[in-house]
Amino acid sequence: MTRNLCVIALAALTLAGVAAASTAGTPGVTSTTITLGSSGPLTGEAAAAAGVLRGADGYFKYVNARGGVNGRKIDFKYLDDGYDPSRTVQNVRELIQQDNVFALFSVVGTNGNLAIRDFANASGVPTVFSAAGATTLGRDYVKYPWTIGYLPPYGEEGELYGKHILATNGKKAKVAVLYQSDDYGKDVLAGFRRGLGAKARTLIVQTVGYDPTASDVQSQVAQLKASGANTFCIFAFGKFAIQAFQYANKLGWKPQIYVNDVASASSIMQLGPRSTAEGSISIAWGKDPATPQFKSDPGVLLAAKIIKKYIPGGNPSDGFLAAGMAEGFSMVDALKAAGKNLTRKSLMNAVTHMNEANNPFLVPGVKVHTTPTFRFPISSVQLQRWHNGHWVLFGGVQSAKP
Amino acid sequence: MIVAAFSDFMQQVVSGLASGGIYALLALALVIIHRSTGVINFAQGEMATLSAFVCWTLVDHGWAFWPAFAATLALSFAGGVTLQAVVIRPIQAGPLLGIVILTIGLLIAFNGLDTWIWGGAAKQFQGPFSTAPIRVGGVAFSKQDLGVIAVALVAVVLMWLLFSKTRLGLGLRAAAVNPVESRLVGIRVAAMLALGWGLAAMLGAVAGVMAAPSLFLEPNMMQTVLLYAFAAAVLGGMDSPIGAVVGGLLLGVLLNLVGTYVHWIGGELRLATALAVILGVLLIRPSGLFGRAALRRA
Amino acid sequence: MRVKLSAFALGALVLVVLPFVLTDFRTVQLATVGAYFIAILGLDVLTGHSGQISLGHGAFMAVGAYTTAILMANHGVRDLWTIPIAAGVAGVIGLLAGVPALRLSGLYLALATFGIAVVLPTILKKFDHFTGGSTGITLFGKPTQTGHGVGVWGLTNNQWLYALTWTVGGVVFLIAWWLLDSRFGRSLRAIRDSELAAVASGVNRAKYKVLAFGVSAAFAGVAGALLAINVAYVAPDTFPIQLSLYLLVGAVVGFFGSIWGAVFGALLIQFLPDIVGLIPHVDTKQAGPTTLFFGLVLVVLMLVLPIVLRAASKLANRSYFGAQ
Repeated sequence: MTRNLCVIALAALTLAGVAAASTAGTPGVTSTTITLGSSGPLTGEAAAAAGVLRGADGYFKYVNARGGVNGRKIDFKYLDDGYDPSRTVQNVRELIQQDNVFALFSVVGTNGNLAIRDFANASGVPTVFSAAGATTLGRDYVKYPWTIGYLPPYGEEGELYGKHILATNGKKAKVAVLYQSDDYGKDVLAGFRRGLGAKARTLIVQTVGYDPTASDVQSQVAQLKASGANTFCIFAFGKFAIQAFQYANKLGWKPQIYVNDVASASSIMQLGPRSTAEGSISIAWGKDPATPQFKSDPGVLLAAKIIKKYIPGGNPSDGFLAAGMAEGFSMVDALKAAGKNLTRKSLMNAVTHMNEANNPFLVPGVKVHTTPTFRFPISSVQLQRWHNGHWVLFGGVQSAKP
Repeated sequence: MIVAAFSDFMQQVVSGLASGGIYALLALALVIIHRSTGVINFAQGEMATLSAFVCWTLVDHGWAFWPAFAATLALSFAGGVTLQAVVIRPIQAGPLLGIVILTIGLLIAFNGLDTWIWGGAAKQFQGPFSTAPIRVGGVAFSKQDLGVIAVALVAVVLMWLLFSKTRLGLGLRAAAVNPVESRLVGIRVAAMLALGWGLAAMLGAVAGVMAAPSLFLEPNMMQTVLLYAFAAAVLGGMDSPIGAVVGGLLLGVLLNLVGTYVHWIGGELRLATALAVILGVLLIRPSGLFGRAALRRA
Repeated sequence: MRVKLSAFALGALVLVVLPFVLTDFRTVQLATVGAYFIAILGLDVLTGHSGQISLGHGAFMAVGAYTTAILMANHGVRDLWTIPIAAGVAGVIGLLAGVPALRLSGLYLALATFGIAVVLPTILKKFDHFTGGSTGITLFGKPTQTGHGVGVWGLTNNQWLYALTWTVGGVVFLIAWWLLDSRFGRSLRAIRDSELAAVASGVNRAKYKVLAFGVSAAFAGVAGALLAINVAYVAPDTFPIQLSLYLLVGAVVGFFGSIWGAVFGALLIQFLPDIVGLIPHVDTKQAGPTTLFFGLVLVVLMLVLPIVLRAASKLANRSYFGAQ
């Protein structure tokens, strides 16, 4: 029994020693490294979205190879949560309590971000540039001062679609909506209704939700077509968006389609039948590498270079990788502005005073702009139309301010 | 208006038959194993997914579809036989709980294997039948849909022929019902059991390959389909191949109609409806539509 | 009550010393292990001792977890008091489930419980005004959270969670031991080994099987409540079918009955990803290898178990501490 106790004590002392060997001063910052943490769906239904984490990681490696930020290299740790927000909570707890990260960056998904907000804020750990567009992430900063989003708010995206319908087909539009039955889909739908204003009740003829655990949505699409709608809003994700296009095509339904940003990556759109997808409308804020007008764009070429060198197996036309690099660029900007004497407070100060107009991965005209009382880093977008197998941006840069 | 409503109704029925065809094929595999070895194989769906991945890999390496499919069937058959011989046979005579847990272990292991080798992102799978829509009287379907239903019907006919018209089928049935006496009359029981698993694995492969074009190939592809297949098999009777296919087609249509016309259920409670079918049948009429009531042996 | 006193005392001593000697984060990981331990004890009672296969034990955990969460968030009930309530609610639901379960024989019961576990997340999402839907319910920092996420009595929050979980775990274990050593346990094991013989000897089969369901569900409810308190968050996807299957793995590894087995099984569930990560060339950022190894553990165990059991056949009929 004494021997057992000795073994336990020895093991424990080792563990304690390892734990203590980290930083004194600001957690996650040493003279040579900055440790950032994140959590995302590396596996599961939403696995494609984890591309933003790989994209940001690639960009950080590129910056590290050029000397890093103020002499420090970025160490980016990200864990898998399979899109289950309670795993996000556990990952974040591990990142904060065991890995002592300086800040959380680009945590993926609305539900995950909402789940960790209280804990991260109570621990005084910044959660910056989350890969989620829930309006509340930017709106509720008084209660959650350490949290800030990045993506254009989903509600405002929906609002833009609603306004576009009013402007182009306000009298004769009959709208059917397929939406993912979770906070993400409902956020877009709510914004969409706001955009239609008083006409929401008359113009929307049918809405159908689906659970992401469903195997397919053919029945739902058939139901929506049966409503007689001439406009079809797809507020869905990944394979369900593709299926929506395919089934609309199969049923001989040719409505004007609005598809949400998250499902609008060219790689996904190209899987849908040409004739149905033709004319679909979405928003653009990041440069999709497959969009012809950006083919020789320096930002897109840089992204391709980074993918080739630092992201093995990465597909240069993957919009999620590009979005991740845009976030990475803004993060590096903020870290630089936070200064050599890097603290969590100085980081939050930097992210609430952003004025970035030169992000090579964002659509020209889309700026990253924040103030302490306006915490929506990206609040302007452009509309784009799918034509002949690729996106064409039109209109000007519009405000998506909530 | 009535015509439109009718064609909408028929559309749901036709789409339901198409998705039901996939449930029917997997249910058939489940029934074959249960009928020939008395086991419920929880890993059936994951085995089907693995077969679909194998087929995809062959096509990805330049094989044409039909040769790839044939090779996949052969490999799946061999895989099923090997699995039974190596992993199931040692504990076949032991407690039921052990076999159930083992098939669950296989479920978990195959899922992990698929994710490890092919990754978690969904892949496009080009099936043998065209997905171009055909429209008749306001109802749309594709050759793919017809193909799935046809394949399910052909499969069940072949199974029925095998079991009731051939000596081999007789041997399979005898080995399942009474292994001891079967051995006495010269039936190689061990081979029969392995054959049952091989057949089921082949049917699972067909299910996976038929499902992949519309469900998109990824490691979790068959997870919800497994539950629907269970519901179909229970509905039809766990020992009846015909029941499995009828149950599958019926279930597909039922789920669509209930989902469309009962708004509270909508698109979100499809799985729950399937569970209700399972519980309802098991509690009210456990032998299902076509099964025979089983004797409980102490 | 012949107790291996020295083993029990050593265990208790290790439990008390550990949190002061390990890092804070490891401590809270061990708290999670404690919750799994309690759930596995429940599965021991149901499947190990009464022979009713349940592939859906995670569902009872979810019941307990949501009871705790809703009471804490919406009704101002302190987290500690929610634990017995969660046990009660889950236990009652277990009793109710146990009645139709009587009509289902082994395989079909496994099938039905499998289906329930698969479907539960969708049902939780559907009744969102009650459960908070897919957003879940956050408990962190709420006034009903003892310690407010910061700590209690000079302990850090993680140490407090550890102490809470293992104290409850100890209590649950004693209850389980008492139950299984008593007539209840003997009746269960009689039914498991031969229903006909048990009924012939006058054992009220229905009563004991239903009670077993209720008791094991109550244990799982406690485990779920503790998990909710631990993570301070519940969501429909917190209790997927995988959790129910992993609990089964843990119970099987523990050979359905020994306390050390249940602890070992719980440790396995929590730390297998880390163990798998030690194997060279395996990247645990992907879930593939970990899942594969979980499955293989189960398969190998089931192949090896009969051999082990045959060598120790008498053990299967004994209760925890050797009483006959």
